[in-house]
Amino acid sequence: MHTSRSEIIARVRDFLQENFLYMHTNFQLGDDDGLLDKGVIDSMGIVEVISFIEAEFGVQALEEEVSQQNFGSLSAIARFVAEKQSLVTA
Amino acid sequence: MCGIAGIVRRLPSGVSVESLGRMAASIQHRGPDGYGFFVGQRVGFAHVRLSIVDIDGGAQPLTNEDGQIIVNYNGEIYNHPELRRELEGKGHIFRTLCDTEILAHGYEEWGVNLLGKLNGQFAFAIYDRNRETVFVARDRFGVRPLFYAQSRGDFYFASEIKAILATGEVVASLDRRGLDEIFTFWAARPPRTPFAGIASLEPGTYGILKDGALWLRRYYELDYPEEAAEPEDVIEQLDEIMLRSVGMRLRADVPVGAYVSGGLDSSITASLAARGSPHALRSFSITFDDSRFDESESQREVAADIGSIHSVAAIDQGSVANSFPEVIWHAETPLVRTAAVPMYHLAKLTRDSGIKVVLTGEGADELFLGYDLFKEVSVRRFCLHRPTSLGRQRLFDRLYPELLGEGRGGEFWRRFFLGAGTPSDPLFSHLPRFLLGARAKDFYAPQFKSGLGEVDVLAELRGSLPVRFFGWSSLNQAAYLEMTTLLSPYLLSSQGDRMAMAHSVEGRFPFLDHRLFEFAAALPTGSRLRGLREKEVLRRWASRILPPRIRERRKQPYRAPDATSFFGPNAPAWVVDHLASDAVRRVGVFSPTAVAGLIRRCRAGLATGFRENQALVGVLSTQLWYDRFIEHPSSQTPLPVQGASVLITEPLPTFA
Repeated sequence: MHTSRSEIIARVRDFLQENFLYMHTNFQLGDDDGLLDKGVIDSMGIVEVISFIEAEFGVQALEEEVSQQNFGSLSAIARFVAEKQSLVTA
Repeated sequence: MCGIAGIVRRLPSGVSVESLGRMAASIQHRGPDGYGFFVGQRVGFAHVRLSIVDIDGGAQPLTNEDGQIIVNYNGEIYNHPELRRELEGKGHIFRTLCDTEILAHGYEEWGVNLLGKLNGQFAFAIYDRNRETVFVARDRFGVRPLFYAQSRGDFYFASEIKAILATGEVVASLDRRGLDEIFTFWAARPPRTPFAGIASLEPGTYGILKDGALWLRRYYELDYPEEAAEPEDVIEQLDEIMLRSVGMRLRADVPVGAYVSGGLDSSITASLAARGSPHALRSFSITFDDSRFDESESQREVAADIGSIHSVAAIDQGSVANSFPEVIWHAETPLVRTAAVPMYHLAKLTRDSGIKVVLTGEGADELFLGYDLFKEVSVRRFCLHRPTSLGRQRLFDRLYPELLGEGRGGEFWRRFFLGAGTPSDPLFSHLPRFLLGARAKDFYAPQFKSGLGEVDVLAELRGSLPVRFFGWSSLNQAAYLEMTTLLSPYLLSSQGDRMAMAHSVEGRFPFLDHRLFEFAAALPTGSRLRGLREKEVLRRWASRILPPRIRERRKQPYRAPDATSFFGPNAPAWVVDHLASDAVRRVGVFSPTAVAGLIRRCRAGLATGFRENQALVGVLSTQLWYDRFIEHPSSQTPLPVQGASVLITEPLPTFA
């Protein structure tokens, strides 16, 4: 199963909005904004984000893959999910 | 231990005994064993007594020989027998056996220099009728509280803010900056409180009030004159100070008990108390039904080792939620953690067991660098020397195995710790905590936020640091910040004095003997924190009194259940009422929309992080605090003058 980049970003953004940005009604989250740097999630929150991504997109994140490179921004998450989905398909 | 309160008029218009009676009534929990008044033209004092020393003769307020010095005092002066002998040698005649009288004669003899001679925990007011001054003071580390307010030239003081408000002459209102400090440091930084116009006398400070003007001066400064090497007899010196400190704190005319947390510090104080006590020691612990917080096995082991008669207060989520409103009433401040609640129940158990005085281990972590925060600052500095070294960053996993060892957010935590400020920032050690704490501010209402303007409480803290701070090592800087921002205004207050005194229990803290502080502050930091081994010299010395299993136990941070307590099936109804959008809007500190989202997350069991837990406890406690103190202040029925064990009125009698 492949999910388009824009759809991954939209669904993750909605999830973040609903669960981590509900206290900031006017917060604009850019695709490349650092989730930690911008205060969107704290380090506890990343676990919740990963659980959502795994369930939503049917991918598994290994312990060593939980990194800034793969989960640091919406773009990074979209790239990670797309790569994982392509591996599953292949 | 007692409660004190008073009013000082700028003009001799009189102080009504009804006002003093209301003040006394509001803090009667601090002293249920009796009360007394001094009623004068300019000055009125109220005192509620918890009788511990000289049960029959220690009633207050108390005067000197000629009635010109009137003392209103809360606390313990542990070296009172020594000071008494010294004063008697100078011709002073004592009428009681109580430590209170030391203040009357000591003030006559030494004036304000009396403070340097006191070893103890105290807050007091002394009215000098000759000079027409009132002298107020608080102990070195801020164990005992003293609040004050000035209104139209009159001065009000008390052990608790509720006594000042009980006069009806000072109206409670919210101090935005005080709240902003709470949501950064966990407590407002003295002299600030969450109440506008009501101040906390800073630890180690005294004030002289004359003609309506208050002149403040600090008499004790924390200093860290770190030596390059340990003294050769470091263990002998520590032994002498510890034994003397505990011995002095066992001086009482009632049995002294001990709190046992299961950790090193309270094991030391309880062990020494058991050895020095003339009766079988009673010890008390908190247990949790949630195994993440529970240390009951360690506690039982300590109790068995020292041979104490041990009792436990069992805490579950229901007991946290149900007693939270009373805890806020006693703490008099919004809180960001529920950790005060178990201390409230522990004090109740202690008092119900017939014990009025307990020794506890507070202060050891600050003196001997016991908290993880001190290790954290060392690891952060070490990593920032070579920020790309993953091996160095793995030290965080050892430091916080529960966060980083098995969790999936490890790299994010490491990044957080490494991104939280640079070593050149004087607040470097505490920025991770301050930044995490401040996440609750995300929930502020826009108008509350805009009302704060450009306030930057971190910048204010930086600006308040003494010049000598910049000459200390980074660990001593961290220790100073811990002592001044957390120990006194939060741990000794919201979790300490207030919770114990809610049930008329006096806490005594052998580690907060100023001789011990000065001894520890002069040691090389490596004697206190060696690598990642905390309290190193204390553990070395403790081998004399504790078995290895207790001595070497790794510290478990003291925590209590937070958000989950308020959303279970048995959650009390007030939670919903106080979190309703109109209630949140009325108080105006938090955004109703943000709070609604927070409730949704809490109900779904998703609020597991620091931000939401602290925010939930912060919102609930702010709502409760505002309701009890500002929106619906209760009126006090005055304690009747007929029931007073002491009533002194002007003109005063003279003593032969």
